[in-house]
Amino acid sequence: MPYNPGDDVVLVQRGPSPGGAGGAYRAFGETLRGLKQTFQRLTEGTKTIQYPEEKVPVYPRFRGRHKLHRFEDTGLEKCVGCSLCAAACPVDCIRVVADENTPENRVSAGERYAAVYEINMSRCIFCGYCEIACPFDAITLGHDYELSDYNRSDLIFTKEMLMAEPLDRTPLRTAGE
Amino acid sequence: MPRPEINWITFSIDGREVKAPENAMLVDAAKYGDVEIPVFCYEPKLGQPVGACRMCLVEIEGIPKLQTGCSTPVKDGMVVHTQTERVHDAQRAVVEFLLINHPLDCPVCDKGGECPLQDITYGWGPGTSRYIEPKRHFVKPLELSPLIAIDRERCILCYRCVRFSQEISEDYQLILNERGAHSFVATFDGHPYVAPFTGNIVELCPVGALISRSYRFRARPWDIEGAGTVCTLCPSQCNVDLTVRDDRVLRVSARDNDEVDDGWLCDKGRFAFQHIHVDERITEPLMRQDGKLVPVDWDTALTAAAQALGEAGPRAAAIADGETTNEEAFLLQRLFRERLDCGNLSARPGGDLPLPLARGLADPALQATVPDLEFAHAVLLLDCDPIDDAPIFDLRLRKGVRRRDMNLVVASARPTALDANATTVLRHAPGTAEALLVALDAALSDDRGNLGGAASAAGSSAQAVQDLLEDLTSAGGDIVILYSERLFGGPRGPQAAEALLNVANRLNLTGEGAGLLEIPIGANGRGVREAGFAATHGPGFAPVANPGLATHGIAEALAEGQLSTLYLLHTDPLRHMSDGELWERALSSAQTVIAHESLMTETVATHADIVFPGEAYAEKEGTLVHPDGRVQRLRRAIGHPTPFNRHPGSGVRAGWQVISDLAKLLGLDFGVFAGSMASQQLFAAVPFFNGLTLDEIGGRGVRWPAREAARLAFGETSREPVALDVPPAAAVPSEDALRVGTFRPLWSSKEVDVSPILQYARPTQVVELSPVDAERFGVADGDKVEVGVNGTQVQGAAKLRHAVPEGTVFVAEGLSDASSSLFNYGTVQLRRLGGSAEESPINPIIGMPAIGESPFNPPRHELRESPPGTAPRMNE
Repeated sequence: MPYNPGDDVVLVQRGPSPGGAGGAYRAFGETLRGLKQTFQRLTEGTKTIQYPEEKVPVYPRFRGRHKLHRFEDTGLEKCVGCSLCAAACPVDCIRVVADENTPENRVSAGERYAAVYEINMSRCIFCGYCEIACPFDAITLGHDYELSDYNRSDLIFTKEMLMAEPLDRTPLRTAGE
Repeated sequence: MPRPEINWITFSIDGREVKAPENAMLVDAAKYGDVEIPVFCYEPKLGQPVGACRMCLVEIEGIPKLQTGCSTPVKDGMVVHTQTERVHDAQRAVVEFLLINHPLDCPVCDKGGECPLQDITYGWGPGTSRYIEPKRHFVKPLELSPLIAIDRERCILCYRCVRFSQEISEDYQLILNERGAHSFVATFDGHPYVAPFTGNIVELCPVGALISRSYRFRARPWDIEGAGTVCTLCPSQCNVDLTVRDDRVLRVSARDNDEVDDGWLCDKGRFAFQHIHVDERITEPLMRQDGKLVPVDWDTALTAAAQALGEAGPRAAAIADGETTNEEAFLLQRLFRERLDCGNLSARPGGDLPLPLARGLADPALQATVPDLEFAHAVLLLDCDPIDDAPIFDLRLRKGVRRRDMNLVVASARPTALDANATTVLRHAPGTAEALLVALDAALSDDRGNLGGAASAAGSSAQAVQDLLEDLTSAGGDIVILYSERLFGGPRGPQAAEALLNVANRLNLTGEGAGLLEIPIGANGRGVREAGFAATHGPGFAPVANPGLATHGIAEALAEGQLSTLYLLHTDPLRHMSDGELWERALSSAQTVIAHESLMTETVATHADIVFPGEAYAEKEGTLVHPDGRVQRLRRAIGHPTPFNRHPGSGVRAGWQVISDLAKLLGLDFGVFAGSMASQQLFAAVPFFNGLTLDEIGGRGVRWPAREAARLAFGETSREPVALDVPPAAAVPSEDALRVGTFRPLWSSKEVDVSPILQYARPTQVVELSPVDAERFGVADGDKVEVGVNGTQVQGAAKLRHAVPEGTVFVAEGLSDASSSLFNYGTVQLRRLGGSAEESPINPIIGMPAIGESPFNPPRHELRESPPGTAPRMNE
């Protein structure tokens, strides 16, 4: 017995069929509007930045790779190994092992210094809390963002690496730029 | 004095009705109503409050001025306010006042993050400071002792450390020098603060003024994890909290348990943790090849050991020392009894007691608890010195005498540290404690004949014994006898045990608050025996079909070649057994010596053929039994060490695992795959542990004598006094021969020997003699002398002590070199060898630094201004 839909049949209301002037506008108007952008940009020339040969300048408050600082006059490290940065770090990527300064081996200005200072860059989220927590302004976040490497363990930055200036300076955006 | 009754009263605090014990200090009573009153100087452990810091000021209705909450006892109906403006003003003023001279070097200070001064400043302080004048400056930090650094700028003068030194450890060395703002903590004579309990002041200090030198700058509170366990370095088995960072133990602090340690630790327990991470640790199995110990893998070592044991069979023997856990001892005795059919097991250096006596001494009714030492009417200290044998008992006895009016009665051969606190002191001849017990027994049973004979055999007099008994029994019936396992050493051990049980019986020590308390020689001596590791009995004092040889017998049989294989479980017989020469021969003639040891000692290096690396206590899991019957749990705090660059499991393995692997190779499967399974087997096998679970033991431990299972296992025992014979009289000193006694210094242990910070305390041989004898022999203090008899000689530095009785010398035993474990009690000749020998300037045994040149800078008072950042540092 063939299927008899009976009362299940629902009539579909369709819109008016396209055509005429309205249809033509819909077909070409939007395309021309898009092409307007294209022609405008054509006159400007290329804007591609040839990274890594060229780099985007960063803003002064950009938070990139950390830097540990020394006193300019005495050359002593500012860091006293207090570990407050490690306490503030939300991802637990800082490890500090302190040791005691001796008259023969004076590293920092205080009683203690950081014998080990490591930041695991693969884990760091660059929130800057360490900088805020530091009571001696010993750690700041710099402008370098080129931190990729071939090996995870190479991303654990030691104190020597954090003390050293980066090889290439990241360009900084000038005022008003 | 029996324990005081607690009377509950109601008082009002901040508008709330709170029930609290009457006469508790307000600070404590407030906690019953969840009210916190900040304190600095108040510490209930230190006894009477002093009210020095004024931080705890509260308002009490009816009293016009603010009162110190720490020194005001709570009364019924008292109305107290802690949240009024007046109180807040006072608290803010006190914090501001304390911070006037407190340097703001929290980032550098080790206390930062766990500092009560920080916490209270945040919670109750004013938030800002109005003080702009220069602060007080001191030279910082100074060495207060080889263990402790003091930073006097940070001190808030709460007196806690000084009170500890004056009232708890009673070494009377720390004082506050000068007055007012110039006050500072120092030792009274400027010498280093060296005593057996100094480390506690580090924990007591509410600021960073007293800092442990071993923990200085090692970690901050957020870097570390705490792990609770039990210290196994002496029989006191104090509950400790290990500070762990990066899988290394950095610090040991007390985990207060009033029933065990009262919240104190000795310096050995606190600083000898360093032995866990030293180069001397054995981290992999070793075997002797061509006369040298070379690393091998576990399979090789286990197979070799199994072969040696299997071949030996009943000709094997095993010795365990105190730090062995119950489980290790239990499994090893199962292996020996069930597989090798061998009962040559011994954990008692002095030899095992016959089963009825061992059982009688372990009778739950006769067991005193540690708090009983404090609350008893009288305590008899029988020929032992807690400061050397179980130091934390020393503090407990001092507390009893000072605060509970306990009568301390000392009967010992060697002068003890507690003599000054005792009501009566009886000096008997070395090695005659049994004669003294017989005399006491005779005095108690009015046997005049025996009394006179036994008293003179002990080198004392009947009258002295009568006086001692009078002082012991006059105050009341709660009497505790504290004795050492050394009492049972030697051939007359069983008779001594009989005499002790007789005295206990006649004094009726079965009641609550009275009893016997034995200090075993090994840290877990009691547990090892109860787990069945003894020649005369199996687990839970079960009789055994064929008893084996005891310690001395094992040595003789090894020397004569009747035994072939020896298993040493955490023990060093050359150092700790009484007959060193015999053991030297025994170890040399043994075919195979298997050493299960954590540190490379002299004995292991020269005599061991197969070495299993042992665990340090921070790595162990298992159970221990405290001298008073408390079953305690060792918890693992750190992982097992593994040699560098090797896979896990190739290094140290758990003791239960090694023994059960060994058993498996010998064809006996214990079915133990985890430490807890070994514990379960033990609890099932020992009748009085039945039903015990690791959960029930928990962090505080469970005293098995107080459990129902103990009553079922022992039943109602009654014991009739037996007739005792008078032991042979003590040797009589003559013109050229002196009586000799031995003692084992607290610091004589392999852990102290390898801990870098405790090197100053490492004991050297001393010959203690009275000044009268010294004059007779022409010996001055510090002279090098030699004592000896029959060709056995010991050399050491003479030390003159007025308390040593005339005609007697005492020499230390258990030292790594110059061991005196050679003398049985008798007489020796003394000879002066030359001028003062090289000796450590500090003598930790007596607790007082020697007067003279000190290698440590004595703290000098220098009040001066120094610009920040240029203050001289330590070692400068």
